[in-house]
Amino acid sequence: MVWETLWNQIVDLTLFAVLLRVMTPILLSALGGLISEIGGTINIGLEGLMLLAAFSSIAAGSAAGSWVVAVLTGVAVAMLVSAVMGFFSLKMNVDIIIAGFAVNLFGSGFTIFLMSKIYGLTGNYSPADAPRIPTVRIPLVEDVPVLGQLLSGHNLMVWIALLSVWFCIVLIYKTPYGVHLRAVGQAPQAAQSLGISVVRIKFTALLWSGAFAGLAGSFLSNGLTNMFVKDMTGGTGFLALAVVLLGNRNPVGVLIGSVVFGLASAIATIVQTIPGSPIPSQFIQLIPYVVTILALVFFALRQKRLAALKP
Amino acid sequence: MNASRSLTLELGGILVTVAAALLCGSVVIMLTSSEPLVAIRAMFVDPLTSAFNIGTILNKAVPLILTGLALAVVFQTGVFSMGAEGQLYVGAFVGALVGVYGASLPPLLHFPLILLAAMAGAALYGAIPGILKAYLNADEVVTTLMLNFVAILTTSYLVNNPFKAEGVGGFARMEYIDKDVLLPKIIPGTNAHAGIFISLAAILVVYLLLYKTSIGYEIRLVGKNPQFAKYGGINTRKVVVLSVMISAALAGCAGIVETLGIQQTFKDNFSTGLGFDGIIIALLGRNHPAGVLAAALFYAYIQVGAQTMQFNSDMPREVAVIIQVLLVLFVTAQAIFAYLHQRMARRKAVM
Amino acid sequence: MPVLLEMKNIHKVYPNGTVANRGIDLTVHEGEIHALVGENGAGKSTLMKVLFGLEAPTSGTILYEGREVRFNGPKDAIRHGLGMVHQHFMLVPSLTVSENIVLGEEPKRGPRNLFRDRSKELQDVERLIATYGLNVNPHAKVETIPVGQKQRVEILKVLYRGAKLIIMDEPTAVLTPQETDELFHSIRALVRGGHTIIFITHKLREVMEISDRITVLRAGRSIGTLLTRETTKEEISRLMVGREVLLRVEKTPAQPKETVLQVRNLSAKDSKGSLALKNVSFEIRAGEVLGIAGVEGNGQTELVETLTGLRKAESGEILYMGRNLAGLGAADIRRMQIGHIPEDRQTSGACLTSSIVENLVLDHYRSREFKRGPFLNHGKMKAFAKELMQRFDVRAQSEDVPAGSLSGGNLQKVVVARELSKNPKLLIASQPTRGVDIGAIEFIHREILKQRDNGAAVLVVSAELSEVMALSDRIAVLYNGEIVAVLDNTPELTEEEIGSYMLGVKRQGQEAAS
Repeated sequence: MVWETLWNQIVDLTLFAVLLRVMTPILLSALGGLISEIGGTINIGLEGLMLLAAFSSIAAGSAAGSWVVAVLTGVAVAMLVSAVMGFFSLKMNVDIIIAGFAVNLFGSGFTIFLMSKIYGLTGNYSPADAPRIPTVRIPLVEDVPVLGQLLSGHNLMVWIALLSVWFCIVLIYKTPYGVHLRAVGQAPQAAQSLGISVVRIKFTALLWSGAFAGLAGSFLSNGLTNMFVKDMTGGTGFLALAVVLLGNRNPVGVLIGSVVFGLASAIATIVQTIPGSPIPSQFIQLIPYVVTILALVFFALRQKRLAALKP
Repeated sequence: MNASRSLTLELGGILVTVAAALLCGSVVIMLTSSEPLVAIRAMFVDPLTSAFNIGTILNKAVPLILTGLALAVVFQTGVFSMGAEGQLYVGAFVGALVGVYGASLPPLLHFPLILLAAMAGAALYGAIPGILKAYLNADEVVTTLMLNFVAILTTSYLVNNPFKAEGVGGFARMEYIDKDVLLPKIIPGTNAHAGIFISLAAILVVYLLLYKTSIGYEIRLVGKNPQFAKYGGINTRKVVVLSVMISAALAGCAGIVETLGIQQTFKDNFSTGLGFDGIIIALLGRNHPAGVLAAALFYAYIQVGAQTMQFNSDMPREVAVIIQVLLVLFVTAQAIFAYLHQRMARRKAVM
Repeated sequence: MPVLLEMKNIHKVYPNGTVANRGIDLTVHEGEIHALVGENGAGKSTLMKVLFGLEAPTSGTILYEGREVRFNGPKDAIRHGLGMVHQHFMLVPSLTVSENIVLGEEPKRGPRNLFRDRSKELQDVERLIATYGLNVNPHAKVETIPVGQKQRVEILKVLYRGAKLIIMDEPTAVLTPQETDELFHSIRALVRGGHTIIFITHKLREVMEISDRITVLRAGRSIGTLLTRETTKEEISRLMVGREVLLRVEKTPAQPKETVLQVRNLSAKDSKGSLALKNVSFEIRAGEVLGIAGVEGNGQTELVETLTGLRKAESGEILYMGRNLAGLGAADIRRMQIGHIPEDRQTSGACLTSSIVENLVLDHYRSREFKRGPFLNHGKMKAFAKELMQRFDVRAQSEDVPAGSLSGGNLQKVVVARELSKNPKLLIASQPTRGVDIGAIEFIHREILKQRDNGAAVLVVSAELSEVMALSDRIAVLYNGEIVAVLDNTPELTEEEIGSYMLGVKRQGQEAAS
């Protein structure tokens, strides 16, 4: 029963569509995590940033009646909070992990607080007329049998996420900023000795991760769903960190890692809806985490072997 | 600068930051509530005025003390393990298993066995990231975060399938554990349960362990200066693994105490982030058992206050989160100031 | 040749009181290779930091190209045409050679100059490589190339930014002989191309080979400037090592008894993997002090670490009272009544954030006499600490204060107290009085000699020649990982003689290579 349903969904490409939708927030936040990780400031506060973006975007969007306002608000809010995070970790010497942890706490609590204060709601906020991020339908192509479903009908943010992979490749490898970012993350002393401001680069890296987390969060409440639910990120921010590691710290690897995690998530969702399925959804959800740990061990072993071989 | 003066300075610094955080929280309440004074009274005064509320504070403090201790131990070794949440689940699950399926044992034997099983199970689970860190230098932040999910998902599966109680819909749970081994209520007129004794005992045990045993000496030394430890012949790797295992055992104890005191069996997704709260407690308590006790009680007080405030006014209880965040940021920033201040004073003394 | 750089009467006193430069004069002519020589601590690096704007001089003037200058940071100095090739490379391992060379000054293109102009980058780098004959593969990742090539990248970095005056800080410290030859080849090419080089080193053979003029620094002062072709290694060595103040402690003649330590053909690698200790052999008897003299970086650190179980030997034997120590860990060795005063008290010798008591009981926290049941007996530990602090004149408010609050001398006394309280049969003291005030130096020296008079075998490793001469009964000299001399410390033995072994001028059993 399960296999049939699954196979059908693969064949009629619904799985593909679900995969892209589910993968988008993971990919976007992972790209944000990637940039800050490369710059040497690991951002574990992606959860909190996404929640803040999710709430503020739908609140602003339904107030202004525009999805553009929604997305811009989400991104701005996330960037603002990551700037504060940067201030505390770079100027006040709060450990970056603790700062990220505080952002997660804050994101979770403050969004619930605002939801209660502004709308008098607990649990979820689903405005009737919240504008959604539009889906992109390509005329003519959408009528072509297989190709149509592959290319047309996806949400705009899905396309933005995919394009962001290319954007990050350009940013990291084809701009001087990207070179400085990599230098600061790996050898801050060397960068500083050449006049590159380590603090400034780290700060902007955090801003980038905020921007991407903002996009991810806005999509959660204005694209994937059309509401804000408390703690709706459900660990995506931590997943993103795992994706960065699994993807070996480069944008294409992050894309592949997001596909792996997204696939697991998508299949788990489908499996959950089928009564009496032999594979428990938890197992499928487990796979990406176990894979990440195994990848970590693999990389660590490889490091050890390489170090032993050095002349 | 002598020892007692620097201690007073540190305590003073912490009090200042706590006061600052509370003040900011009050400001937020005043700005957003239509009846701020009511809300503030409900938040800060009410928790202490009724026996029932005090009982609730104690109950909330119980797991916080244990996870706070768990993080304090591992932070003192310089390991940033964030795995208390997962270890908590493992402890609760293993303990509940022994609780449910060992019902034929006499309670006097059954109860300690449950605790031991919970702590041992969690300790073994904690050994995984510990060994990965000590022998492969695998980053403990990521491994423990991942293992949290693994533990939560695995126990969720287990409680939803092979170990699910009969006829239960919605949130799955195991069969209820026999009343004989559950933690009894200790203060009439409240819900306070005997777990507080376990937590207090744990404070004493951890204090003795860290400051009065040779293992504690090693755990703290490795955290303070691993090179000096190596020079002295200490096996730093073993110490790291041991420290993480002790931390995991404490987190597992938190899980089983919550199970025996409040939940009465293992329930799917029962923890509301107790493992992560432990991080805040340890930070506030400066990784010292006495500090953890004070921080856990204070934190529980804030939580209960937020709840009574929500009940009695128009403020949602998430205001507590704002205070918690400010506490975390202010306390860690303050820690750096104190350290720098000490450094400068030292340099002046040298000249 | 016109004068390019003049540093006049440079004084530098650090806030903690250390006087690093006492009125140093340095004159460098355009187009020359000027060697700056001196032992560790002579003030060479400080002088260069002052020149480069990394430190502000307490007094003195700097004239560059005839004009008075005061650079306020490396970027400022670089802009004026100075370049520094650091001893410890400042490279980003995962970036390529060309990316490292242009780092911070990448050629840009596109709208708002947002993008890298990689073809121009490659062009510029390849042109530099060709012009100066400094062969490296611009596309290679820095982490994959050998040390000699990494250095070339550092030199290219400096040339890319238009340096005319290039300062090289101990450039041959990490190079093989062949790489050193290639470096010298490149340096001569640079000079032909109009550059000027300041070459900081203590390797006299190289000084004679490559430099035009030499300035000798000693104890923060400039002793003299020589024309290379008119001087000899012996003369330079004499200027570098000659002492004004001798630290002499009252010493009765040694009465050595049985052999305690016998080191046979010991070889060990350093942290980078190259051989730092080459077939070293010596022995120490009970009741004598063997001093190891040598400029730092010639294998002393590796020797001490191998003897104390902190590093694995590649080959050879370490026989301690008949038992082979090679392969044992630090824990076992410390239990065998072997004391170790490590060269870095702040990282290995003590835990600054722990109390003095906790620092002193490092060897005792497990033993039964300091326990009461399963718990540590704090009362006993405190008494132990108090007694040691009194015996070793440690001045502190109490035994409970953090060790980091102590002055350098007092902290070292804590370390000495801990190691000597074991009544060691073998005491290994590495740089025992570095950074310590005069009073504490005397005290520590007296304590070391007391151990020797009580029948311990003592090994003193020190870069301070006066200390080696004050304490030792016999002196072995380490040069390039080998023992090049073992001398009896008679009154006729001079610093200059030892110095000539230390600097590779002479070798026992061979004629001096000139």
